[in-house]
Amino acid sequence: MNTTSDTLECGHSLAELSAYLDTGQIADPVHLETCPECQAGLASLRHLSELGRELLSSDVADAGSGTDDWMQSILDNLRLELRPGRSIPLQSGNPNDTLWETEGSISALIRSVADALPGTAAGKCRLHGDVATPGAGITVDVEIAVVYGHPMEERAATLRQELAETLALHTELTIQAINITVTDVLEPPKPASPADPTTPADATTPADPMTKEQP
Amino acid sequence: MTEPLEVGDIAPATASGTWAELGGLAEQLLGVVQSVDGVIAVYPAQPLWQSIAGAALSVVTGDAPALITLTDDDELLAVKTRIAVGTSRPAPAVAREVAEAVRRHLLPRPAAVDVSVVKVGA
Amino acid sequence: MTGSPAAQHQLDLVPDALLAGRAADGDTAAFEALARRHGPLMRATARRLTGSLADADDVVQETLVQAWKQLESLRDPAAVKGWLLRIVGSRSIDHLRKRRNHADLGDVENTVDATSPPKNKDPETNAVNSSRIEALKAALAKLPEEQRRCWVLKEFNDQSYEEIALTLNISPASVRGRLARARITLARTMEEWR
Repeated sequence: MNTTSDTLECGHSLAELSAYLDTGQIADPVHLETCPECQAGLASLRHLSELGRELLSSDVADAGSGTDDWMQSILDNLRLELRPGRSIPLQSGNPNDTLWETEGSISALIRSVADALPGTAAGKCRLHGDVATPGAGITVDVEIAVVYGHPMEERAATLRQELAETLALHTELTIQAINITVTDVLEPPKPASPADPTTPADATTPADPMTKEQP
Repeated sequence: MTEPLEVGDIAPATASGTWAELGGLAEQLLGVVQSVDGVIAVYPAQPLWQSIAGAALSVVTGDAPALITLTDDDELLAVKTRIAVGTSRPAPAVAREVAEAVRRHLLPRPAAVDVSVVKVGA
Repeated sequence: MTGSPAAQHQLDLVPDALLAGRAADGDTAAFEALARRHGPLMRATARRLTGSLADADDVVQETLVQAWKQLESLRDPAAVKGWLLRIVGSRSIDHLRKRRNHADLGDVENTVDATSPPKNKDPETNAVNSSRIEALKAALAKLPEEQRRCWVLKEFNDQSYEEIALTLNISPASVRGRLARARITLARTMEEWR
């Protein structure tokens, strides 16, 4: 674009061309087709659009993957806020005080224990029973996925043991049973492929179940 | 009076001056809660989505949501807080300790402390 | 919410429309899959609009909270991506207003890229190509703020003039004008640079 004014020598304005780019509409389409000035202006704007798309790709690449820590931490906050679940009362030292654990905090704790075991990943997790009544019998259902090649029975037994200990430590629930169901066998992780935000199937690289974020 | 008071609230000029007093108190209590061993984070006492619903207001005020809310009903000072605890100590014990620490700090004023553990672990 | 790798793994192959429908029914795993899928684009847009990565993450989080609350109002589940980006746009603008009101931090565009992570991990990336992008970033940062917003909402979010007008609370004619001015300035700068 070698003109210094917004109006081209042919009398048409760059603003018209800009709008044409977005809407496909212009007052004088025949002129546009044949005018070298307009065609040059349009080419320049299209070139800019192309650069804009490159900038977007570069920014999206910089933003990282949806499976990275930044998104994980946002999702953790959301779980806290959106799905607190039932309130589980805790014994308090003073009759005026009310102490609670949210069901969501316990589900997340259970998931983190399952995720921390090598070759396993937590799926759904439910507390069945009247959690609001102290002493009521509670059943825990946990679904897990196990990476192909890891011994399922052994993983389930270990997890059951670890969950029993963790729940005894961090809750006052009376746990009657911990049911663990292996719902999936996962393919061993493959090297990550570059994410492409425009095609859903490739947009998120499947998380590597072997990579644990827990300490 | 059952007005929730927030950390950092600018105290309106009331006859009693209680608002200003409570505003400063909420800030002190935040420090008290944070210093309990095992507490790793304190979350806004009012859930985030409620703050978002009031986004139009926060656009105007620019205030961060209050971490501890205080409600004074003349007899009992109600204190509400939501916390995350680590796994190094039992979560119920940490919650009790938080309530006790708040109560101790407020003495001789009677208080009703509401503590929610909304996260266990890092 | 089950955000476990197992759940992600299965949901990654499910198209947007289906995920959005399930999320509107209260399926949080489906919602999280959508968040992961479109998160990078949302973050990139919010960052270009707010000028900082920290603000961008706040915006993405607020966007997701709002989206979860309002999913039922989404008429066409297949359009969830554009819908999320429109929320990112308005929350980013809110964020800037809030910050402007709260503390006068001066020109936000001056802080653009202050937290820029290392570029182009790919060693094959053409150096000329990446420096053109850098030139565009610099030119963009020098634009008047309203023009830059219009440009980002158009080029990154593919919003219509009417949608941008709603987001920025200006008329569609103003959007058309500002966008044109932004493009003319940017195109000229890039031509000179070339």
